[in-house]
Amino acid sequence: MFPADFAYARAGSLAGALAQLDAAATAGDNVKVLAGGQSLLPMMKLRLATPATLLDIGDLAELKDIAADGGQLRIGALATYRDLQRDPRITAGFPAIADALTVLADPQVRARGTVGGALAHGDPAADLPPVLLALNARVTIASRAGTRTVALEDFLRGVFSTDLADDELVTAVTVPAAPAGQAYEKFAHPASHLPLAGACTVIEVQGKAITGTRVAVTGIAPRAFRIDLPQRDLASRSVSALRAELADGDSAGGPELDAMLAGALEAAMAAAGAEPLADQHASGPFRVHLAAVMARRALARALSRADAPAGADE
Amino acid sequence: MPDVDVDVDVTVNGVPRRARVPARTLLVHFLRDNLRLTGTHVGCDTTQCGACTVALDGVAVKSCTVLAAQASGHEVTTIESLAPDLAEITARGGTLAAAGSRAAGREPPASPEPVSLHPVQRAFWRHHGLQCGYCTPGMVMMIRQLLADNPDPTDAEVRHALAGNICRCTGYQNIVAAALDAAAELRGA
Ligand code: FES
Ligand code: FES
Repeated sequence: MFPADFAYARAGSLAGALAQLDAAATAGDNVKVLAGGQSLLPMMKLRLATPATLLDIGDLAELKDIAADGGQLRIGALATYRDLQRDPRITAGFPAIADALTVLADPQVRARGTVGGALAHGDPAADLPPVLLALNARVTIASRAGTRTVALEDFLRGVFSTDLADDELVTAVTVPAAPAGQAYEKFAHPASHLPLAGACTVIEVQGKAITGTRVAVTGIAPRAFRIDLPQRDLASRSVSALRAELADGDSAGGPELDAMLAGALEAAMAAAGAEPLADQHASGPFRVHLAAVMARRALARALSRADAPAGADE
Repeated sequence: MPDVDVDVDVTVNGVPRRARVPARTLLVHFLRDNLRLTGTHVGCDTTQCGACTVALDGVAVKSCTVLAAQASGHEVTTIESLAPDLAEITARGGTLAAAGSRAAGREPPASPEPVSLHPVQRAFWRHHGLQCGYCTPGMVMMIRQLLADNPDPTDAEVRHALAGNICRCTGYQNIVAAALDAAAELRGA
């Protein structure tokens, strides 16, 4: 399989890439930015995407840096999944990101696929967006006119649709310091490895009390979305009560929590007017059910990390 | 119509190669059709099977999902570079077993283990890690990557590393055994 013909240009600098995008946007040219190409090239081979020009930004070293700034991490858009997996600041400080990377595609794809590419692609069933949503990530976007930063929450729009304009590039993703209680769980399609449903949970614990719970899910709606569980749902439980409830895994404590989580997901989708995704692999209600189960499992794993001393996990 | 051709200037197995090809040319087709390096296989063409695995700047990737143009200015390593003298001999029609022995300066023994293969390839030989052999170049290239990253993997880690490599023949058991044995040999254990 070949993609349809296209002209190929390789950007030599970020400024050059932005100038080229600006000119193309003005002229109305159909230009696609090529980063790692692990989503775009398969789509082009299937002729689901037929850009006239590919602008390859893959060699822009200035977009590959991962820099720590206090507890926050600034991840260059061209950092690959493999780069992240091998970065101790990720594995130590953001175990939910590490979880997602472990189950994302395969090693060869992780060696090419980039963080910025994944976000700009806007796939409704991708592993990283829910994790970055739950972690309150912000996206830095550049154009010839300047730079802006937007919360990932506002960046994701719908199926393959984002806040990115034609003359803009994602240059970085910034993740603020996060509590240790975080985890990602997915139910993967066995052939594609894509999540039929995936959920990331971040739980804040102070002493014996749960002070906050964020859950973000993927695969069940046109975009990854996030719910902040109301106090009455989880925070009223003490840590030990919740731990006891989760200890029985899929049997005893499961169904009640699953129903609560599924209810919260459905309510959030209804409030946003989002139709559940459904296809030959899984119906809408089944995906919601799976997402709730994944969220509960992520909650159990996050809780086990919440007060474990650093490095004692797993 | 804009120009849809592109100059590709790439170092393959240490040798600088250059060609002008349509920009849509995939790296795997560039290797096979332009450079006649047919050791890298195309199994699925859809980023699933891993038969097309090569190293790009030293890291295993699926060459059916990289444009030849993207590799321009970079370094590609293919299966042919792992046992270069044998690749040379088999390209002239010799058998691998005979080639292995000859490369080692010996007469072909009755049940030979080719001595100048890469340790991962030799382990495949010992453990019967292949049947039809179609997936093998990709398996070997991926295991080579795994052992560079993690010299002492567990059985589970080998299987996890091979998540992107499909074999329709062996059932993976002997491939995993070969990977573990090669790891031990490379560690000097
Ligand atoms: S041919 Fe490239 S992954 Fe199958
Ligand atoms: S040996 Fe036949 S596909 Fe693996």
